[in-house]
Amino acid sequence: MSDASIYRDKFPQKNPDGTNQIDLENGKFIKIWQGPNHPGITGNMSLELVIQGDEVMECKTHVGYLHRGFEKLMERRRFIQCFPICVRIAVPEPDFNEYCLSATFEELAGIEIPEAAQWMRTLLLEMARLQSFLMWIGGQAGSFGMGVIGQWSNYARDLVLDRFEEITGGRIYHMHMTPGGVRGLAPEGFEKRMEENLVEIEMIMKDIQTTMFENAVFKKRSIGLGYIDPSWVYDYGITGPNARAAGIPKDVRKDYSYLKYTELDFEVITGKDSDAYTRADLRRREIHSSIDLIRQILAKMPKSGEYMAKVPNVLHWKIPKGETYVRSECTRGEFGYYTVTDGSGYPRRINVRGPSYTHAVALMEKLAVDCNIADTAGLMVSLHTYPPEIER
Amino acid sequence: MSLKDVLKPFTAWKNLILEPVSIKKPLERQGAPRYRGFHQNDLEKCIGCGTCEEICQNAAIDMVPVDGVETKPGDSGLRPQIDYGRCCWCALCVDICTTNSLTMSNQFQWIDSDPEVFRFTPGADPKYWDNSELGYRKPELYELYNTERVKVEELHPEERDRSFIEMVKGFSKEQAMRESDRCVECGLCIATCPAHMGIPSYIKAVRNDNIEEGLRVLYETNPLPEICGRVCTHKCETVCAMQYKGDPLSIRWLKRYIADQVNSRDYQKILGTENLQKNKKKVAIIGAGPAGLSAAYYLSLMGYQVKIFEALEKAGGMTRYGIPEYRLPYDQIDKDVKYIESLGVEFQFNTKIGTDIPLEKLRKDFDAVYAATGLHLGRSTRIKGSDHEKCYQAVDLLREYTLGQEIDVQEKIVVIGGGNVAMDIGRTLARLQNQKFGKVQLIITSLESEDIMPADREEIVESREEKIRIEPGWGPKDIKIKDQTIQGLNVIKCLSVFDDEGRFNPVFDTDQKNFFEADMVVEAIGQGMDIEYMKGVVLTERHKVKVDKNFQSSEPWLFVGGDIVSGPDAISAIGNGHQAAKGIDQYLNQ
Amino acid sequence: MKELIARLKKQFKITDEVYQKPDQTYITVPQEQAVALVTHLRDYEGFNHLVLLTAVDWIEENLFQLIYLLNNNDFKADLGVRVMIDRHEATMTSIHHLWKAAATYQRELKEMFGIDFPGSPRVDEPFILEGWDNIPPYRRDFDTKKYSEETYFPRPGRTTHDPAEYMKKKLYPED
Repeated sequence: MSDASIYRDKFPQKNPDGTNQIDLENGKFIKIWQGPNHPGITGNMSLELVIQGDEVMECKTHVGYLHRGFEKLMERRRFIQCFPICVRIAVPEPDFNEYCLSATFEELAGIEIPEAAQWMRTLLLEMARLQSFLMWIGGQAGSFGMGVIGQWSNYARDLVLDRFEEITGGRIYHMHMTPGGVRGLAPEGFEKRMEENLVEIEMIMKDIQTTMFENAVFKKRSIGLGYIDPSWVYDYGITGPNARAAGIPKDVRKDYSYLKYTELDFEVITGKDSDAYTRADLRRREIHSSIDLIRQILAKMPKSGEYMAKVPNVLHWKIPKGETYVRSECTRGEFGYYTVTDGSGYPRRINVRGPSYTHAVALMEKLAVDCNIADTAGLMVSLHTYPPEIER
Repeated sequence: MSLKDVLKPFTAWKNLILEPVSIKKPLERQGAPRYRGFHQNDLEKCIGCGTCEEICQNAAIDMVPVDGVETKPGDSGLRPQIDYGRCCWCALCVDICTTNSLTMSNQFQWIDSDPEVFRFTPGADPKYWDNSELGYRKPELYELYNTERVKVEELHPEERDRSFIEMVKGFSKEQAMRESDRCVECGLCIATCPAHMGIPSYIKAVRNDNIEEGLRVLYETNPLPEICGRVCTHKCETVCAMQYKGDPLSIRWLKRYIADQVNSRDYQKILGTENLQKNKKKVAIIGAGPAGLSAAYYLSLMGYQVKIFEALEKAGGMTRYGIPEYRLPYDQIDKDVKYIESLGVEFQFNTKIGTDIPLEKLRKDFDAVYAATGLHLGRSTRIKGSDHEKCYQAVDLLREYTLGQEIDVQEKIVVIGGGNVAMDIGRTLARLQNQKFGKVQLIITSLESEDIMPADREEIVESREEKIRIEPGWGPKDIKIKDQTIQGLNVIKCLSVFDDEGRFNPVFDTDQKNFFEADMVVEAIGQGMDIEYMKGVVLTERHKVKVDKNFQSSEPWLFVGGDIVSGPDAISAIGNGHQAAKGIDQYLNQ
Repeated sequence: MKELIARLKKQFKITDEVYQKPDQTYITVPQEQAVALVTHLRDYEGFNHLVLLTAVDWIEENLFQLIYLLNNNDFKADLGVRVMIDRHEATMTSIHHLWKAAATYQRELKEMFGIDFPGSPRVDEPFILEGWDNIPPYRRDFDTKKYSEETYFPRPGRTTHDPAEYMKKKLYPED
């Protein structure tokens, strides 16, 4: 529990469960909506805030502005037809959807994908992490009023997107991992161009380091903001950088190593202060780790070979009855697909476990209380949430 | 926090003197070579199979007719129209395209104020990115179905070259399931099949392991599935969409698989023909070949009392007396025939209309007559020496062999002809040679060069496996006879068989000669018909019986079909027997 | 994993066990034992991470399958606890007291499947679908295609042809 409550006066009164007693009629509270269209909100969601002065007394997360019922839509589609849909569940990182979806189908259908496809998937997932962190860092800086950082980091992200475009033919929705393998290996000269980009990104990161992380404004506003107690991690289902910043070394890539991560050398990065600054800094270190991993992957991955397993005719593909859960470590934490099949040509149920589901709702509602209203945007971004994976 | 933290951010000012990174002319930016941009479609390559429409998970594709693209066998004449209001650029349509005609360009910029233009038919509506070299193509090693045919098991040449045991073993369940899985259900084959069989439906039944349903689909259009499942000319396979990336489906073997799985005892139950209601009307059918059997089957389903008159001693026609047993075992013919018989169809064998019973009598005793007597007369080359007693007609020999008569096989044989009958007689005689002499010395020579030989490819391959020599591209000149015995066949080079208009008009080079040693010659260059018994009906210019689309001749009560009006092949005969049955039904219900 | 299941079997009525992969197992327990089992797993077996809680609609059998996917990060193992509940009286004991995050899952299940969790905080408040007046949309009997056809309008002027039908019309119309 944040210590702020100890120093507050007796108004408003606390409920037994620690929440504030609010009476909207007494004129001392204002209810405002932050979002769904608000520059300080990640994507389309909104926070229903009750404030007293400039402090948040109560927060309720509202989602549903992006609900398209992907899980349900996939139940009405053939297995192969799911991958163009699932990418939309986390726009900045579609690859994790593609991977988890394909992996569950492959597992249930008993398909082993070729070596080169596994390496390709590892590369794409790590590139996805890199570009997503880069985009996030701009968002975090922007929410504290530092717009220029976002311009730099988005330029850096665009460089990664160029490489995505080269491999997959798409910048945002890559649709490269399909059930059974991938749609091709890296073209000629890819490693060289990627390396040039990585060097440039490292330069940009150096600038970001000095202008953002060593910036008095950013430090002042983010240090101490949104403290997550390590004891909450399991209670609130916190994963990824949010948990690691609290000192809990949870990383799916290490704990439940998938694809080729066992053959790669990396450390689980943890922090200890568990506030917005620690989380930001942790993600900055993740970017460097990601760059290092991409270099390792490029050095190790085969340049040729089979990249698609034999699949039955996808028009009539039936997968035997079964259920499984496949997880991966996306930038926000544990991203997983729980897939149930019933022996027909369509999935019975697909449930997407997006890390934002717990971070943006239960956790955000707790952390926002007693926070300055100007900091809610920064707080929210520091949890790194994507609304579409909450409402799917 | 320190003073350093306040000052350090100012290092960002250095960007003022750096070169900007933004793209100056974004409209000129090129997509990556694999970019998934606007679609392009090679209209020539596209066959309008509609698989792209089927796979599109956004329902963005419609199949529409396009000016200048004609509907013809193997091409529906439809082309995909894409609604970019729905397309999500996932390129599944490109991956699944059976001909690789549909691709994507790397162009992604197109501005227009009219939303309707964003629905167009790639290839037919010209666009600036047409024929773009770059853009997404189906990756080479990426297949969404199996392009290779499941091999059907056959006897090895050594196992079969002296026996008449059926050489094709047929699919096992697992093989049939795998093969049927390859079908994309486009249905282009239906139009090409002379009987318009519901091919995708019965393949689907195999895939779903629903054999009874499969049998029902077969009998909707073809009452001789065991026969057809073995010896059909499978024209359907020549238009199969799967052939462009790999092998066409083994449609024929899948059909056989269905029929083979069902015990003949269960046919009536499965097909729901246990209690057929009979009416009073009677139809006579002349000839118990595929056409006659097919007509008899559909007529008896409609309730008519059907009687078949057959000149030979068993039913089946050419499929029994023309096709050797290693291709079509007699018990399989019996299975199909027996089921038709079980519906109340009467057979009278060893009765030739015209000699044993005049046609007039049938006219009196029956309400309608269907004549399908087939092509049982061999055609001769009429070259010098072809009247020698050791020069035979293929159809005669095949019939005699089936009837169990002794064939006077010689050590060296030449067969003239390049069709399936030539292969049938050649392979039959080769087996007999093997049995008698322990070796094969047999040449099949044809007018046509090998690429246009009318025989099935596999027949040619298998003949060679059975040590038959094939000599294509020679025209027979004369049979060399010395001391009343045949010495061999003199041939000259045939340069072309058809003229520019596609008519039969062979051109020879008399300087290129060859001589094939032989002491027996068999002619297999075609068959003729004997229609003396229906004297009086109107004939066409080409001396065939003139019939309308229901196979009704100039005599309203007389319907004519089978090989004597179309074909020759079993599946056309079955198709027109079915059509004639509908025609007779119409005629009798006027 | 097998040892753990054997241990659990002494206390709970486990009717079905599927060893999906070395670190993932699914077990089925009766509805009345489910929360006790989940609590036991959390408190005594180290399965303290609620990965997800969702439902599968087995409409043919008139059942909802609830799945509590629990994770033990020390043993690196997942255990899916399946509970089959009646589809018509879809009510389940809440586990919001075990995990704070569970309330969100339960709220979504109420809204999307119509499964009630009495006592769960804000369980009746709309979560994703504000103003929804149809049946819970993730149930199998809710037809998304039909709904979309009724709710939205198709773009005019679209017609398609089935290749086989079209060829029949063009090449052999009489038959």
